[in-house]
Order: sequence, then C-alpha cells, then structure tokens
Amino acid sequence: MTTSVEAKAPVLQMRHVSKRFDTTQALDDVSLDLYPGEIHALMGENGAGKSTLIKIMTGVYHSDSGEILLDGKPIRVANSVDAQAYGIGAIYQEPMVYPDLNVAENIFISHRSQGVIVNWRKMYQDAEKILAKLDVKLDVRLPARGLTLAAQQTIEIAKAISLNVRVLIMDEPTASLSAHEAEQLFNLARSLRDQGVSILYISHRMEEVFEIADRVTIFRDGKRISTLPRMEVTRDSAIRDMVGRKIEDFFAKSAGQRGEQLMSVRGFNKDNVFSDINFEVYRGEVLGFAGLVGSRRTDVGLALFGVEPADSGEIILDGKAEKIRSPEQALRLGIAYMTEDRRQIGLTMPMSITSNISLPMLRQYLSRFGLIQTREEEATANHYRERLSIRTPSIQHPVAMLSGGNQQKVMLSKWLNTRPQILILDEPTRGIDVGAKAEVHHIINELAAQGLGIILISSDMPEILAMSDRILVMREGRQMGVFTREEATQETILTAAMGQNSGATKAV
Amino acid sequence: MEQLKQLKQYFRPEQLRELSLIVLIALIFLFFGSQIEGYFSPRIFNRVTSDVAIIAVVALGETLVLLTRNYDLSVGSIVGLTAFFVGKQLTAYPDMQPILAMLLAIGAGSCLGLINGLLVSYGRIPSIIVTLGTMAIYRATLVAYPGNKMVVINDLPGWITELGSRQLFSIGEFSIRPVVVGGLVMFIIFQFVTSYLRFGRRLYAIGSNPEAARIGGLPSHRIVLLAFILCGAIAGLAGFLYLVRYGNLNTAAANGMELKVIAAAVVGGISTNGGKGAIMGALLGALMINLLQQSLLRWLVISNFWVDALLGLLILIAVIIDSVIINRLSDLWNRQDQEINPVDEKKVIKEKKSHAA
Repeated sequence: MTTSVEAKAPVLQMRHVSKRFDTTQALDDVSLDLYPGEIHALMGENGAGKSTLIKIMTGVYHSDSGEILLDGKPIRVANSVDAQAYGIGAIYQEPMVYPDLNVAENIFISHRSQGVIVNWRKMYQDAEKILAKLDVKLDVRLPARGLTLAAQQTIEIAKAISLNVRVLIMDEPTASLSAHEAEQLFNLARSLRDQGVSILYISHRMEEVFEIADRVTIFRDGKRISTLPRMEVTRDSAIRDMVGRKIEDFFAKSAGQRGEQLMSVRGFNKDNVFSDINFEVYRGEVLGFAGLVGSRRTDVGLALFGVEPADSGEIILDGKAEKIRSPEQALRLGIAYMTEDRRQIGLTMPMSITSNISLPMLRQYLSRFGLIQTREEEATANHYRERLSIRTPSIQHPVAMLSGGNQQKVMLSKWLNTRPQILILDEPTRGIDVGAKAEVHHIINELAAQGLGIILISSDMPEILAMSDRILVMREGRQMGVFTREEATQETILTAAMGQNSGATKAV
Repeated sequence: MEQLKQLKQYFRPEQLRELSLIVLIALIFLFFGSQIEGYFSPRIFNRVTSDVAIIAVVALGETLVLLTRNYDLSVGSIVGLTAFFVGKQLTAYPDMQPILAMLLAIGAGSCLGLINGLLVSYGRIPSIIVTLGTMAIYRATLVAYPGNKMVVINDLPGWITELGSRQLFSIGEFSIRPVVVGGLVMFIIFQFVTSYLRFGRRLYAIGSNPEAARIGGLPSHRIVLLAFILCGAIAGLAGFLYLVRYGNLNTAAANGMELKVIAAAVVGGISTNGGKGAIMGALLGALMINLLQQSLLRWLVISNFWVDALLGLLILIAVIIDSVIINRLSDLWNRQDQEINPVDEKKVIKEKKSHAA
C-alpha cells in the first residue's frame, strides 16, 4: 500500500496555510497533500501546530492566509457543516457522542439525507449494515451512555463512514484505549484506507505510527519540516525533525548550591492516571517535569497539592510520611501549586490584585472581630508589586485588565504569599510574551536561590532545558527517567517522552 | 438468557419510572378514595381532569424546552396573558369564530415564545435569566392591558361556557370534556413528534451533548429557537383552554403555574440536564401532581398551607430518585449487555504480520 499513492491525484490539499494567535504563529505557510487510500501520520511536539491544522480543516478555525483544495478545486470550510458536506470528518481522543441517543441514532443524527420523519426500522438496519461492514458487533438499540470509549469511538467511525467521508482525521484516537481495542481501531483504519479513504492520523506514539502509517509528516513550530514514506523514516530521523528549536531568549538557571532534601515521593500512584512516580526535591533546585500531551504531568501536580489526591504512595516531608488529601493540608505542609489555567481557576478575574493575592491566606488578615484588615492586605500586595515588578496603575486594579505576564505575576504572588517550601509551577509562561517570559524565568531563578524547591511543569522544551537542574520525563502516566542537566538534550528528552528509555538514569 | 436479553432490549430502566408513576397514581387514588367522602364523584373527576389537561399541555411545551437543556419560566405568564388577551378580544368582538379565537391564542403564544427563543439562541443569554425576565414582563403587560382588569364570563360569548362544560362522551357516569380530549390529542401528536420526527430527535441530541451538536453540524440555534416558539404556542393554546375552563379571569390568571409545570415534567422523568425523558412522562407527572394537590386540598387532616411544601418535596424526591436509582440501574443495564466484539484474533495477527513485513 505504501507504494505509488502519489500516482493518484490528491483528494485534499492545504496550500500555504498560515494562522496566528496573538503572539504565536501557530501555522506558518504550511502545505500538505492527502491522497486517497493512504494513512498519513502527523507528528510533532506540543504546540507544533497539529491541532490548529485539523481545526482549520474542520472549520473550527479559519486560516489567515492560504487555501484548501478538494479535488484540485479551492473550497471554503466555514464551519463543521461545510466540512461534513465536503466529506471531511474527524474523530477525537474523547468521542463526541450523544449519551441519551442510541447507537443507530448517534450514527445518523446529523444526516441531511434522512427525511423529516424518522424511519426507525430502516435506520436500525442501515446501522447494522455499517457496523457489519466494520466487522463490529454492537447492539444498535443501546444508548451510547455507558458504552466503553472504544465502542463510542466505533460509533464515531461508523458515523463518518455513513457520511461518506473522503478525509478522516483521527486525533490521538488510541490515547484512552487498551492495547486490544487499539488493535481493533487500527484494523478499522486499514479497512477504510483500503476503501479509498484518506486518513490523517495524529499520534504521539511512535510505535503506532510505524505500525500503520503509509507516510509520515513532521511539524515543528508551526512549520512542516518533512513528509516521507514510512520506510524512509526512522525513530532517530523523526525525533531529529521534531526537535531542533533554537534556544534563545532564555535566562538559563544559574547552577546554585543544592541544599538539603525537602521532599521525597515514593511509589506515587493514582489508578488509571499515573503510577509508580518517584522523585526528590531539594532546596534551591528546579526539578523540571517534561512530557507530551497526555503524559499526566499536571495530574501529578494536582495530586501533590491534594486537589485530586493520589491513591497510594508516600510523600516524605521533613522525615515524616504524609498523605495529602486536600489543598488546605498541602498549604500547611508548605506546598503551593500554581495552575496552568489562570483564566478559569488561577485567578478571580474581576477582583482586584490585592484581593487575589490575599485570598488563600485571608485568615491572616482578619482583625479580632473577623473583619478584613485592608491596610495589611494592601501592604502585602505592594510588597509583591515591587518584588516581582507587577506593572499596574494600582493594586486595586481588577486582574482582568492586566496583561498575561502581569496576571502570571499576580498568581505567583498569591502562592508565594503562602510561604511555601515547595512551589509547583504548571506551565508558568504559557501564553505570555517573550519579555514577560524572561522575567518569570528570572523570578524562578531568584526563588530557587532563596532556597525554595521548585517543580516546573512545562511543555516548552527549551524552557525546561534551560531552567531545570534535573528533568523528570513522563509518558502516559509513567516515569520514563530522570535526567541531569548534563544528560538532558532535546533529543534525549523527546526520545524518553515518546517511549524509549535509553539514556535515562535512575533517579538521582 | 436470550429471552432476558430480548426483554431488556424492549424494557429499559427509564420505563420503570413511568410504571412506578402509574402505580403511585393508583395508590394515591385509592388512599384518598378511602379517606375522603365522595371522592369518586363525577364532580371531582371533572375538576381534576380539566385541571390536569391544562397543566399537562403546558408541561408538554415545557418539556420540549427542557429537552434542549434550557428552561422556560415564562409559561405561566404566557398562559395568563394569552387567556386574558383572547378573553378581552372575545368581549369586544363576541361574534368571533371559536376556531379563530383559538388560533389567536396560539399565535400570540408563538410570538411570546419567539422573543424568548431569539434571546436565548441568538442573544446567547442563559434561558433561566431570559425567561425570568420575560415572566415578569409578560405578566406586567397583562396588568397594563387597557380597560378594566377583569374578564367576566357573562361578557363572553355563550360557546365558551358551552365548550367548558360540555360532555363529548361519557364513561359510566364520568363525562369527558373537550378540554381533556384536546389535551390528549396534543400528547399523541407530540409523542409522535419526539419519537418519529427528525426535529424531535434533534431536541434530544442537543440537550444530550450540546458540544457534539455544535461540532457535528446540527443547526442548534434554529432547533432551540423552534423549541421555544413551540413551547410558547402550546402555552398559548393552554391559555385558550384556561379561558374556556374558568371564564372569569383577573390579572393573576395562571400565576405561578411555571412551578407546577416544571414539577410535573421533572416528576415525569424529564431531566433538567436535557436529553432525557419521554413526553408521556410529563402527562403522568402532571396527573400525579394535580391529583395529589386536589386531594390534599380536600383532605382535612393536613392544612392547605402545607400543600405547596409537599409539591416542592415531591420535586426533590423525583430528582433524587432520578440521579440515584434510575441512573444506577441504567449503568447496570448497559454494563451487562455491552459487548463490542471482537474482531477475529487470528485475522488481527495475520494483518499484523503482513504489515510488519
């Protein structure tokens, strides 16, 4: 199947497509041809532009420039209805089913060709026919609620087939499937390919891509780096194409003096989320957490902070084993966690800088009669405003009015004010501009120098390499290794993040 | 085993709720029958059935909106306003054809529903806020209606009274009135709409997973708009039935009806999270709530003061039953017969080999 796909005319072509969000160029002059009857794998690091591309193909986003051709003719995909009409379908990691409708209805609900009156009997028969074609046994009268993810995904594929898709995008479809279920999915994908469907397959799993892809395209920083037949791609060449971001504008961490051990985590486990995580955090050190989407780094952070407590394993603080069950307890033990989602849960947008900073420690600002002592609150806010140089007209300004970088600093102030020993920073520089980023890095550096232990969760590879003393790499809930500063390169980290242990040393 | 499987296919836990409602209604009926003298009289039967008919029809419209994961709190005001409006028109033009008066009510209700729907689907304002606002506005419009603040039965054409008390046919000594038949016809129509029309199924789809509806290319805005218009139109029809049933109206007509209507729908198994519940459930819910209310009012053991509190309690119990028992049963049901199977293992291995090559 791998030979001569290019002899046919491409079904869908992306030509010089670009898309920009605020400060980031998500797609930069990308061209990509999809041929009928091929499984085309798309790979790249987080933020390489894969999701943006598929959102443009399905009409969720609109490109700033460039065009999409179907059978050589330019088309405009304004929304998902258009995409459907052009035969472009997508299935996602989390299936988009209607839980209250049954299997057959889920397959046919968005069909325009179905008449105004539902012919149930015909619908059941048609649904059974499609499922039979897929070699799947599934009762078409069952409601989708409660079906396994694999079954729900099968429904989505059946739906795509019933809509006569010509291009099917599969975005990390196996992420939540068991090995056996994934194998079934591959068979479905192959049989669709053999029927002439063009499949764009997005995955972080190297072995999967090598198993089913006919061609492999690699994206990096919003650009297409390479498109090659699978036979010409090796693990090493793929990784090489994916990394290679220039490291610039980074305030590298100064190698400080590593102090005593602050925390030791042993056999940390949360069922179906992550398992057997082991690491130590030392005073004055930045421990980086690297990994791709779905690596569950954030879940480890949430478990350490007690938001989503772990099921087993121990956390040793000050020589005592602790079980952290709630954020209140974590704060008492000197752990603070700064979320990646500052808009939704990190900050209270309409409230002032002052109120946001004092929120977790409000009890300290109460007078004897239980009233808030605003003067002390303001003193704290002013202190952090100066220390982190938060640029704002006044500390009474609502945080919603600040720039992303300054919001990030407010959030940092809020957690520093809890006087933590260990500070977990989840994507602290996501979505802020280069200048602010450098400032945040500077602050992290200073905090470490002052003796805090810092856990830095970041998808930004250069950032993690520049800022960390040691880097723990995770993949799908498992710890792939801990690398020292000397061992860590973009290649070693990405290789581990994609499922190869080579070069990893045991925890230091 | 095979038989059990078949049985399961046709009988689902959700139906258990309808079945248990029927049993409960029968129990309420028997209990109060033994407590209240003359309970089984034609007079009480007429009262209950006519009241149920009106509440149930409004609950039917409300159900369409609830299915899309929205609320319409303005239905009580729509019923009151259309009843009052049509009553006033009939007072002014007593020669109006009955059918025209009914269409007038439906038309007026549709317009009010259209306003709700536009604000919700295109204005992107949460339905609970929109209809809380229009509930007050529609009621105020009714109060501000020019002329005196009453519709009096004696000023209305004779056919109104006639239609309200006429006996279409009778079962034993119990007479069946046009209002009741009208209500039943509506239910049969909308049971068909929700189970056999594409529009009806899409109501369920949207409420079930709005995000999927958006990505899946369903015209969500239009469907939600249509649900609100239909809800208004049906409330308008109920306004007409209300006029026929009572004749005398003041500005408080159908005040607070939205509570009873939503209670009926929820007790009948319509989920406030959308996508779940059968139209007939709303009918059973309305029957149960009304029967209970009418019976409690006549039962001298409990003070009337407590009747509303009992209604509230009933809603809470219904919701708890829904979230605990019914959901758990459904899970059990699904787990047992779910079995996505298995591509042939040998074939998998063979394919794998050929691809590895």
